[in-house]
Amino acid sequence: MTDLVNEPSRLSLALDSARHWVKRLSANRSFLLGAILFGGICLFTLAAPLITSVDPNALSVRNRFKPPSELYLFGTDNLGRDMLSRVLNGARLSLGIGFAVVILNAVFGVFLGAIAGYYRRLDDLLMRIADALMAFPAVLLAIGIAAALGPSAATAIIALAVVYIPRTARVVRASILVARELDYVQAARAAGARDGRILWHHIMPNCMAPLIVQLSFVFAYAVLSEAVLSFLGLSAPPTVPSWGVLIAEGRTYLREAAWLTVIPGLAIAITVLGLNLLGDGLRDVLDPRMKVEQ
Amino acid sequence: MFGYIISRLLQAIPILILVSLIAFGIIYLIPGDAAVVIGGPSATPEELAQIRQNLGLDQPLHIQILTFYAHLFQGDLGRSLTLGIPVVDALLARSPITIGIAIYSLVLTILIGLSTGMLAALNHNRWIDQAATLFALLGVSLPNFWLALVMIVLFSVHLGWLPTGGYVPFTKDPIGWLRTATLPAVALALMQAGLLTRITRSTMLEVLNQDYIRTARAKGLPEWIVVGRHALANVMMPIVTMIGLVLSVLLSGSIVIETIFGVPGIGSLLGSAISNRDYPMIQGGLLFVTTALLLLNIVIDLLYTSLDPRIRVRGR
Amino acid sequence: MGNRKHLLFSSAVALGLLASFGAVAQDRFSCPQQGGDLVVGLEAAAGTLDQQTATSSATRNIAMNIFEALIIRDENMRPVPDLADSIEPSADGLSYTFKLRQGVKFHNGKPMTSADVVASFDRYKTVGVSRSILEAVAGWSAPDDATFVITLKAPQPNFLENLSSSTAPVVIMPAEEATKAAGQIDVIGTGPFKLGEFVPDSHVRLDRYADYTPGTTLTGLSGFAGYKQACVDTVTFRMLTETAARMAALETGEVHIVESVPAISMERLAAVEGVELLTLEAYGLNIGYPNWSAPPTDNIKVRQAMLAALNMDEIMEASTDGVYKLNPSLQFPGTAYFSEAGGELYNQANADKAKALLAEAGYNNEPIVLLTTQQITTMYNTALVMQAQLQAAGFNAELKVFDWPTALATSEKETTGWNFFFTHWTGSAAQGGATTLRNLAAPANIYKPQDPGGDPDYNAAFQRVQGGATIEDRAAAFADAQKTVFEHVLAIPFGVMSNVQGTRSNVKGFKPFYNTRVSNVWLEK
Repeated sequence: MTDLVNEPSRLSLALDSARHWVKRLSANRSFLLGAILFGGICLFTLAAPLITSVDPNALSVRNRFKPPSELYLFGTDNLGRDMLSRVLNGARLSLGIGFAVVILNAVFGVFLGAIAGYYRRLDDLLMRIADALMAFPAVLLAIGIAAALGPSAATAIIALAVVYIPRTARVVRASILVARELDYVQAARAAGARDGRILWHHIMPNCMAPLIVQLSFVFAYAVLSEAVLSFLGLSAPPTVPSWGVLIAEGRTYLREAAWLTVIPGLAIAITVLGLNLLGDGLRDVLDPRMKVEQ
Repeated sequence: MFGYIISRLLQAIPILILVSLIAFGIIYLIPGDAAVVIGGPSATPEELAQIRQNLGLDQPLHIQILTFYAHLFQGDLGRSLTLGIPVVDALLARSPITIGIAIYSLVLTILIGLSTGMLAALNHNRWIDQAATLFALLGVSLPNFWLALVMIVLFSVHLGWLPTGGYVPFTKDPIGWLRTATLPAVALALMQAGLLTRITRSTMLEVLNQDYIRTARAKGLPEWIVVGRHALANVMMPIVTMIGLVLSVLLSGSIVIETIFGVPGIGSLLGSAISNRDYPMIQGGLLFVTTALLLLNIVIDLLYTSLDPRIRVRGR
Repeated sequence: MGNRKHLLFSSAVALGLLASFGAVAQDRFSCPQQGGDLVVGLEAAAGTLDQQTATSSATRNIAMNIFEALIIRDENMRPVPDLADSIEPSADGLSYTFKLRQGVKFHNGKPMTSADVVASFDRYKTVGVSRSILEAVAGWSAPDDATFVITLKAPQPNFLENLSSSTAPVVIMPAEEATKAAGQIDVIGTGPFKLGEFVPDSHVRLDRYADYTPGTTLTGLSGFAGYKQACVDTVTFRMLTETAARMAALETGEVHIVESVPAISMERLAAVEGVELLTLEAYGLNIGYPNWSAPPTDNIKVRQAMLAALNMDEIMEASTDGVYKLNPSLQFPGTAYFSEAGGELYNQANADKAKALLAEAGYNNEPIVLLTTQQITTMYNTALVMQAQLQAAGFNAELKVFDWPTALATSEKETTGWNFFFTHWTGSAAQGGATTLRNLAAPANIYKPQDPGGDPDYNAAFQRVQGGATIEDRAAAFADAQKTVFEHVLAIPFGVMSNVQGTRSNVKGFKPFYNTRVSNVWLEK
């Protein structure tokens, strides 16, 4: 796939290639479907204030356990709170946590992966540390942090970042190992370019494709894992509901008020499904050699 | 090879020390102690003081830490505060339960993932492929605790096929074990099977397009031999990767499933250790699980090299 | 109801009379059917079965079917002898003579003698969680194999009430076990069931103890005591902490008895063939208390404003899903110490009065931190509704949510950072009298008064609850203490929570109580 190796300093070429990718991506069914699903969820999340102005935490003891109806589109929960508002507002936190994990992954994953891949002397050490982090039971770490600091979105973000950063770093490292042997990189090095410049201008652009694919999966897993952490009471405090918190709170009423768990469950499923399709599509187009990691 | 194993084992030691320090950091930061849990909501402060004294929690934390290490060097992980039995005994009693379910779940994962993945690859771009892909994607898209609760309602309450939870040791009653272990194993397997399906599918698709497969087909070899001998061999690598990942997830991350189904495994042991503030159990448990996962990693790496001679020992 | 009359006398004398009275009674309980495995689904996992060292209901639910105590509580939570046939107080009130039940054998086959009782009391004195109940004791002795004598430092009229505490009962174990450290005994008692197997976080199996010798002072089961019979061969207590899974297990018939049926599931489960629901009306007190050290709740006007703002109906409705009773008291209705003193301050739901009190207090929108846990739904929902009601009355109320141990430890150790803490009083409320009030008295002082001596009015009343010569005196003192609790806002009781328990209809003889009792329960074939 030599067409991946573009010279990033030339703007026109970059624009050309951007057009090229857009064309190829829009022809990819998986990517399109994923984009529609995930884009739709994002749209609803952003438009939440326009859709409902009900306070997601407003109690109405008299209106407890109202099934979905015209008045309450998604029904009400055990304290009479409007589920439509809770699901829409919960999206912000669930996606926000996912996004924060992605950013942390991009920053630290790239940094560590690049160092490990480029400075081979540090490789062994960094990869062993990655092993250690991957061996450390992350759920237990999350339980520990939550017990110390109280449940919060930060707890979930830290725990999930710890789980996924080593994996992202590995993906980056692998592509850097390939890229650093490329002719023009070798040439730049021979010409006496500084390490930082070589890494940033010549090597990194070649790692973007696998990185983007990896991050789309990290996003998906983060949203899913946040729900699991919520189930254990380790994620957001229940006053700011995330989808996981909603399922965790509603699970006692699974039989009698199924809408409390089914609707946020579907929201998670659609988001994760969309992100997975998106990632599959990106991979097919950007980097067909790459296999599913995780 | 032997030297490699030794060096990997030596590398594990600093990691374990790091883990135990992290565990202490957490314990140090967490407010509340085992006495509070044992005492319950209406215990008087006086009663809590008595419980603390019974458990040796009236000692300052640094003394407790020093005591822990002093005992550790004698191979003693201490005594669980809530269970009153040695930590080692608790870990040894619980781990076979988790490992049993993990292996069961792994077998299910491989059976489901491999067959769906191959089916999809062999019917590339036909409806079977799409159905299999959808199944795989759904498997990785649903929160498994939600799935577990739904499965209880469906398979236990409505259909009455399997019990809602509990655990029967395999050695005592294999059929009973199968009945109680099936729902947890399936709940754990579905997500992993989705992953394996995708890996199998993409690996197979890649392999099926290789020249030697085309040659084999051109020679008129029956399809099952082509697939069985050539393609399948190539799928082994990702499967080994999966085994490593799946087992590490199952060993450490099954707290939720074990809690829902009432399985007394290592996950529920460590989960309740933390919520009970059972310090020795947290310490010992973390060291135990981390050691197990590190050893597992080493074994997986060795499997890699023996499966594919092209791969040199990593890091060289 | 002849027995009840005797309780009008001092409870100590009444006990002796009750013992001799009951002995002649006829028609003792006998199991209509024998055999089978009774499966009970518990909502909390028990860590230990060492009853002397544990206060949790999870432990008690199992262990109190294995162990017995000299004196314990009956169906109405009144003191009643169990391993003793009679209890005689001396005329000067300084000593109590316990005649032990005869022919009792431990589960290891050895006969129980007064030496075991002495050893068990010795152990309780060092590791017993509620050992403060033995504070008034000067010593104990065993004049002969069947007699045990406790001597007090000074007369304590409610001594037997204290001694019979069912929080962490002084259970009797073999002398050789009584030398062991907390949590490390072999679980050997004298009860109708013996320990078969204990798999933590999974289940406990109890086996019928064939050589059990029941007490004969009563004719049937009463509270923790009575004429007990093991009708089933084995009992399996399964720890099913996930509510939905526990209910499913009842529905499929995998378990015969479950605790804590959620209110919303009642209608559906009641309609399920083969399932019956039983309600323990007064299971626990939903209660919370302010922090007197942290501003602004150090100001009595602010606390009174809080109390004025609360609509208990709404709080209880939301937190229990509708299974509750409003109750302007720290005691359950119909109990010996029940009083509505100060009750006019309960359930005022008066936001205007609250606002006026706040203005009077000079309240300047300082945050009121409500400290709670999301792990216990009732407490959490109580906090949520209380927050909404306080906000409506002009308080700047915010929630601080931790897991239970952290929340409780914070309330216990910190005098700042929180203003109100939520809890439940179950057994301690049911036992009544001083046991209920002890947490609010010095030195426990859970409401964190700045003066370690605590609220003088309250403590004066508490002393009279401890020292009152008759039950009437003590009940009157209790009413005074409770009045102070409301007026000075030492605590805010929200209401009484019920506990609905589900059984399969082939389970007979099971009665909900503050403890899961599996004696005198049989499975119909």
